[in-house]
Amino acid sequence: MKAQLRTRVTTGIGIFYLSSILFFLYAPILVMAAMSFNASEFYQLPFQFSTQWYERMWENEAILSAAWRSIWIAIVTTVFATALGTAASVALWRYDFPGKRILQVLLFPPIAIPWLITGTAMLIFFFGVGIGRGTPAVILGHVALALPYVIVVVTARLATFDRTLEEAARSLGARPWMVTRRVMLPWIAPGVIAGALFAFAVSFDQFVISYFLSEPGDSTLPVLIYTAIRKGFTPEINAISTIIIAVSMVVMLTAARFTKFGGEK
Amino acid sequence: MSEVRVNNIVKTYKTARALDDVTLTFPDGGFFGLLGPSGSGKTTLLRTIAGFVEPDTGSVTIGDRPVVNVPVEAREIGMVFQNYALFPNMTVADNVDFGLRVRGVTGNDAKRRVAEALELVQLGPLGKRYPHELSGGQRQRVAMARAIAPRPRVLLLDEPLSALDKSLRVDMQIELKRIQREVGITTIFVTHDQEEALTLSDRIGILKGGRLVREGRPQEVYADPGDTFTARFLGEANVFDGKPEGSLLELLGGARVTRPEKATRIAVRPEHMTVSTVEPEGPNVLRAELRQRIFAGAMGTCVLEWQGQPVKAIARQEEFDGLPEKGAVWLSWSDRHARALTVD
Amino acid sequence: MSGGINIARTDKLRAFALLSPAYLWLTLAVFLPLSAMAFFSFLTEVPFGDAEWSVTLTNYSAFFESSTFSRLLLKSVMLGVKVTALCVLIGFPCAWVLAKMIKGRAREALFLMVILPFWSNSLVRIFSWAIVLRGNGVLDKFVNAIWPWDVKVNLLFSEWAIVIGLVHSYLPYVILTSYLALQAIDDSLIEAARSLGAKWWTILWRIVLPLSAPGLLAGAVLVFVPVVGSFMEPRILGGRMGTYYGTLIEDQFVAVFNWPLGAALSFILLAVVLIILAVASPILKRAQT
Repeated sequence: MKAQLRTRVTTGIGIFYLSSILFFLYAPILVMAAMSFNASEFYQLPFQFSTQWYERMWENEAILSAAWRSIWIAIVTTVFATALGTAASVALWRYDFPGKRILQVLLFPPIAIPWLITGTAMLIFFFGVGIGRGTPAVILGHVALALPYVIVVVTARLATFDRTLEEAARSLGARPWMVTRRVMLPWIAPGVIAGALFAFAVSFDQFVISYFLSEPGDSTLPVLIYTAIRKGFTPEINAISTIIIAVSMVVMLTAARFTKFGGEK
Repeated sequence: MSEVRVNNIVKTYKTARALDDVTLTFPDGGFFGLLGPSGSGKTTLLRTIAGFVEPDTGSVTIGDRPVVNVPVEAREIGMVFQNYALFPNMTVADNVDFGLRVRGVTGNDAKRRVAEALELVQLGPLGKRYPHELSGGQRQRVAMARAIAPRPRVLLLDEPLSALDKSLRVDMQIELKRIQREVGITTIFVTHDQEEALTLSDRIGILKGGRLVREGRPQEVYADPGDTFTARFLGEANVFDGKPEGSLLELLGGARVTRPEKATRIAVRPEHMTVSTVEPEGPNVLRAELRQRIFAGAMGTCVLEWQGQPVKAIARQEEFDGLPEKGAVWLSWSDRHARALTVD
Repeated sequence: MSGGINIARTDKLRAFALLSPAYLWLTLAVFLPLSAMAFFSFLTEVPFGDAEWSVTLTNYSAFFESSTFSRLLLKSVMLGVKVTALCVLIGFPCAWVLAKMIKGRAREALFLMVILPFWSNSLVRIFSWAIVLRGNGVLDKFVNAIWPWDVKVNLLFSEWAIVIGLVHSYLPYVILTSYLALQAIDDSLIEAARSLGAKWWTILWRIVLPLSAPGLLAGAVLVFVPVVGSFMEPRILGGRMGTYYGTLIEDQFVAVFNWPLGAALSFILLAVVLIILAVASPILKRAQT
């Protein structure tokens, strides 16, 4: 009885603690969402409901075009990073060759070096070779950043792949391409989808690299938001931010459900 | 159907010899058991035949076709894996169909052959299930059906029953034998379970440290193991060393026993040992100490000690009951049960 | 289909075909730029157009001659230490609750909730703290509503604001890595320890912490490295207070346009980061085994 009570009390404390953390994590986001519906331009309380910031945002050409640019850059990044990353993971997983360890270690710089350093280095190099600033430079940078994430996620999924399945397929007469298409790809699909989502998130969320590489009139949404904040807050930023957060959460939740369904068994 | 031959196969991993000059013929339509302790190279040999392992030197032929340079998928083999390796994303029927489809067999022809294969393993109605919805024994059958459906030239089984529990394993042994007889396919299987090998195989080969130490019909090999390792690995054996004294062998303590084939070492199976409280007539008699009697149903095991060496004897119940718990007894065997062993 | 195909050779070709696109891309976008930056850090001028330039060490000696640079680097490193420590202290217990005290579907759902903010834009999150923390802002109103005396809560443009914002941004990393490490610890180990009479602090100290150290450290590195190089968060939440080593580098590239100096400063930061990674790597390696 006593032990049971103690377990209950500790579990209670644990859940209370966890709730406080969740409050800390979500409170500012909720405040931001609330403020996007507040009439006051200077976030004055008491709260007065209004949708005017959404309407204004909808007419703000700069915000809308930056948002679209961010989305399509993220899509292009996702396609490239997922394709190249999946191919590389399969090769790293399947083949043994001298220098493999080095290749694996080389995946870490984009993750482990502060983006400030990578970003400024890209700026210098792209200027030097004539690529310059602008959307192509941004995509080059985003794909490079997203690649290691895709490789890590897909490799993790590959690690759960039973190599004897491949051997079984070959013993049944399947050529390498058939083995890949019919046996391995179906198995790693959830990992590839998760990797693609990571790539999208990395690109869409990416500020530092975009900041150094995008052209002033041609910025992505995070860069635009940064500039707006430094020039003085405008509640339209709240509106677009709320939309971004809502959309990314919905996407992530569906993705979480979807990837769960894909496998495990 | 085809005979499979491996000639002078050598395979080295780093510095360890996994296969050391193995030459062996697997007869057409036969059921061949490869047996050996772990690390003996039996799985490496099977995987060399399959093509997953490329030998350093030596040749492999399936039928009359040399296959060392042929990739796995073109060797026309069927293989059953230890963990079955059923494709989790396909139904049972699709698993069985896989090998047919990659060979270009489709439509009604494929359907009929999938049904036949499933019928053969008595899983007819389960085609629409997924592997994770099956029991261990059923998965084993699916793996068999999948390997057989494309009509391979040779069937390779890698410890196919080791994942099943004991009683199921015995049932599946009978099933496996039946299926193999019905299909009549050359079958090579790897096991570390000697009993399983003796039950299933027409011929067995025993590997140790990458070398083939013995090959033959199971009865033959069991009755006349030839070397100490085989004698001890296949069943149990009491091994005695002695000095030759003409046609006899003088053992430790001066006892003289019959000497088969000029050997200096002989083996006697426990079931051929007789334990008695009165001194028996004839040769091959040792004075030993009975240490322990273990009752086990129809048979009983006696643990004895002779000249500091443990000796085991298996006695039928009536003999067993007549023995004391402990104490000095006589051990004997008849001439024909003493087998010569090589000393290595 | 017949014999004669050299299996190993075709494998090598396939591996090369699959790997080269990814690694070419990384070379073009990461490795070459880093090399270019190393080169730049030794130049007097940006070598574009017809600018006169020569090789020099002044960019590095500048760092050691003026105390401003090293003071700012120290300030950034200290910020990294504070934020990392807070993240670990807050995040590890949180991961423990998730991994060991909550079971089944509730755990999955809660875990998802914890890492979900991760996927919302980091800039937007920092910005929302600005709204919360500013004078006359939400926190101010909230505190005054429950506190009987009149207080002014204005944390914005203080180091506190920066720390809070950064902890909020990076806490999920520590929770995620600790959670994965804790989940890998077999419950029966803890049960075994309890059956031997160990109290909870002994279990924590002798079993749980040693076993989860690699995961915890990985989380700490994932926090520390970007925080040391952060510049956006200090700018938004720190205002005039928010001059750090990161903002210093940013200025060289976007305001002062002294790229060689910026490159040298970046490389000094990189050296610091690499030293920290080198110190951490023996423990991190243990995680892979």
